[in-house]
Amino acid sequence: MKSPLRGGCFLKGMHGMIGNQILGNLLQGVILGTVYGMATMGLSLIFGVLKVVNVGHGAFIMVGAYCALLFFNSLGLNPIFALPVAFFLGGILGLFFYYSAMQRLLKAPELSTLLATFSIGVLLEEVVKLIFGSEFRGYNWMVDKVDLGLTIIPYSKIYAFLGSILIALALYIWFNKTRAGSAVRSVVEDEEGARVCGVNVRSTYAFSFALGIAITVLSGVLLTMFIPVGINPYMGGGYTLKAFVIAVLGGLASPYGAFFGGLVFGLIENGSYTIFALIPGVEPFALTRFFSFVILLLILLLRPEGILSKR
Amino acid sequence: MHLLELIGVTKRFGGLVAINKIDMKVNEGEFLGVVGPNGSGKTTLFNLINGVYFPDEGKILFNGKDITRLAPYRRAPLGIGRTFQIPRPFLSATVLENVAVGAMFGRMGSDLNIDGAFEIADQVINRLNFQNLRDKIASNLTPIEKKMMEIARALAMKPLLLLMDEAMAGMHPGSINEMVSFLKQVAVEEKIAVVSMVEHIMRAVVEMAERVVVLHQGSIIVDAPTKDALTDPKVIEVYLGKASEE
Amino acid sequence: MKQKYYPYIPVLLAYIVLFLIGKGVSGMWQLMSMLFFYCALGQAFNIFLGMTGYVDFGYVAFLGVGTYGMAITISKLSHIQGYGVLIIIAGFFLSMFMATLLSLAVGAVALRLRGAYFAIATIGVNEGFRFLIEGAKIWNGSEGIIFMSDLNRVIGSKTASSLCTFWADVFVVIIALLAAFVTLIYMRSKIGYALMALREDEDAAKVMGINVTKYKIIAFITSACFAGLLGASAWALKTPYVFPPEVFEIHYTVEAIIIVLLGGAGTLLGPIVGGLVYGLSKYYLSVIIPGFQLLIFAPIVIIIIILFPEGIIGMIKKGTKGKWIKRYIIY
Repeated sequence: MKSPLRGGCFLKGMHGMIGNQILGNLLQGVILGTVYGMATMGLSLIFGVLKVVNVGHGAFIMVGAYCALLFFNSLGLNPIFALPVAFFLGGILGLFFYYSAMQRLLKAPELSTLLATFSIGVLLEEVVKLIFGSEFRGYNWMVDKVDLGLTIIPYSKIYAFLGSILIALALYIWFNKTRAGSAVRSVVEDEEGARVCGVNVRSTYAFSFALGIAITVLSGVLLTMFIPVGINPYMGGGYTLKAFVIAVLGGLASPYGAFFGGLVFGLIENGSYTIFALIPGVEPFALTRFFSFVILLLILLLRPEGILSKR
Repeated sequence: MHLLELIGVTKRFGGLVAINKIDMKVNEGEFLGVVGPNGSGKTTLFNLINGVYFPDEGKILFNGKDITRLAPYRRAPLGIGRTFQIPRPFLSATVLENVAVGAMFGRMGSDLNIDGAFEIADQVINRLNFQNLRDKIASNLTPIEKKMMEIARALAMKPLLLLMDEAMAGMHPGSINEMVSFLKQVAVEEKIAVVSMVEHIMRAVVEMAERVVVLHQGSIIVDAPTKDALTDPKVIEVYLGKASEE
Repeated sequence: MKQKYYPYIPVLLAYIVLFLIGKGVSGMWQLMSMLFFYCALGQAFNIFLGMTGYVDFGYVAFLGVGTYGMAITISKLSHIQGYGVLIIIAGFFLSMFMATLLSLAVGAVALRLRGAYFAIATIGVNEGFRFLIEGAKIWNGSEGIIFMSDLNRVIGSKTASSLCTFWADVFVVIIALLAAFVTLIYMRSKIGYALMALREDEDAAKVMGINVTKYKIIAFITSACFAGLLGASAWALKTPYVFPPEVFEIHYTVEAIIIVLLGGAGTLLGPIVGGLVYGLSKYYLSVIIPGFQLLIFAPIVIIIIILFPEGIIGMIKKGTKGKWIKRYIIY
């Protein structure tokens, strides 16, 4: 016969397990969120400087993912080496699309730039499909996992996490300590004022666009270190939507907002998934995504500058 | 009762006080000039009267009605019309259509149907003598023509109060005279009170305004008949070097 | 007929011609059916995008909700005997009702926002709504509703099949004609001028006495209603099943945008021209280079945006000097 005491200890044990599981989930959420945030910084940078929403955002992440894939499968190198390549590729793509299309649309109404960036995204998807086909690809980077007590995390995710932080830090230093970075910041804050102070706004546009795209492609590599499967030409769509939520959370024009917004988003996403999974009769994955859009709409309604920006 | 009355109106932007406890009156059919150097708060003042901004303190009364927090689209039917310093035409529409829109939603708007509005537009265009531009698409107009249309559109609203923001800027001296005398004629006929805001073209103010209000850093430093106001030493000091610009 | 409704004549003619081609030439009905859909889609979307200049990136949600409206009506009422066609009509009403409700909900949130924020908010509504249905398993969640057999029970399988292959398309044409008519009425009324003003310069419009929110809502709801009806006929009645991921697919919104832009946003004939050009191009491209039409379309869209933003009809309008042409033919 079970003694009540033992029953009680059993319950306490269960509690501990669930608590650990929740905390572990949250930790995973924070780590993933950091990468999400990094992935959104490019979007915010482009919006901050050019006031353009890059609706093709996800497609550039996809390009980065394929970079990592190629590096791993063809060259046998681990994806960390793909990072600088992805960055430069992104920069080149950014410059190309800026000078061929975006520059001519600076004075055009919003619809035009939204549609243009969307079409650029579609173009990328189709080109990639042409070259690589539309099957789902993936790679398997065998690394050790580390046991943090609460949860087990493979080193690849840790690398992605650290990579995101490092890059965000590098960007922070660049924005605040270099002339070029300050020029970009000035254009975000007050374009007319910047122009009057002698900042070459036109080349700042080009540069910022290219940098934004470069960061985005780079983040695609980092994301695959987190999720090395499911790589296909159309994988970008979901990320574009997540990026919108994160960017709005952090304030559409603020790259730092995006970074911390990503963190918050990662937490919310994992947290809400955990909660929804406990409710019977619903699909937690879909509900989580629904919830993220509710948040998006609430923020747009109540604080469109973003929760994390100073008013 | 005054047509327009501002009582203790204050407007702040963050830490900056753009308009500081202003008291101002405009009477029916009056010609008032609002004068002040760049940054003195003129545009903010107009925006407050228009409804683009709401004051932080104070009241605005129009024909005795409290319009302090009334939405801008509700002020036009009451009889407040406005022209912008840089004209804001509806570029893809014709001149006639642009002016007709003024009539459609202005003071007489609710009594007018489309055809009525177009009739009024035609009348105003004929009055201002640019029938030749009637069917021209607004994006094809020269800057001066756009200014004319801007004024026509405001007049088509059948305003009781017309706020004119640097209406003469960019016109050459000959046309200014014409424009001023013409506006005076129309305004007197239609009993429109005109508040004309200028920074540079003093002649327009002198010829047109009976009374001048001088703004400096958000406050009214002088409120007097034109001649007195423009020769007031305070005003000259504020405008150091600018007073004799013609 | 009053002079101001003359511009409707080319619209009427266009659909009659297409209809005759479809019935007359064998094998063309399928193509015509697709063209009808695109023209109707463009016509409905133009009422909002074309007239206000706002981009509703979540437009397809209204089509989706309309599809559900018809699907729900047919599947829930199929056990009632003897009412046949009336149930279909009831379905249309429910679709319109649901689309109106959704548009009010969306409008309340999104229409306070401008430009890019508005676009993002509308994407959010579309996706959010879809995931709500899947997540909370509303209306069968991701399993969707399959109501083929219900439809057969309601109107008999012979009628059902002629519905799916012919009458549904006729409804689509009727919807297109209605949408065009409403567009013309708006254009010739204060509503149209208010929308033009707010499209050109929203702040100036406000100062001129235009209640921009009211007019945006009018255009929004009208456009949404037509989308709902379109979803009910072109989707629900043609293929009697509905799955959330299909009916909330963002690419339909993009197609609508392309059609309106290509033809000329804010014009009456634009959506027809756009629908025809886009539909035909897509059809023939899918024959020539199956699977890669988008590869061609994407750069073309970019070129159009940069070089020809007013669309085909827009360019013709700008070019023609004759008032006669302007007033009666191209509008």
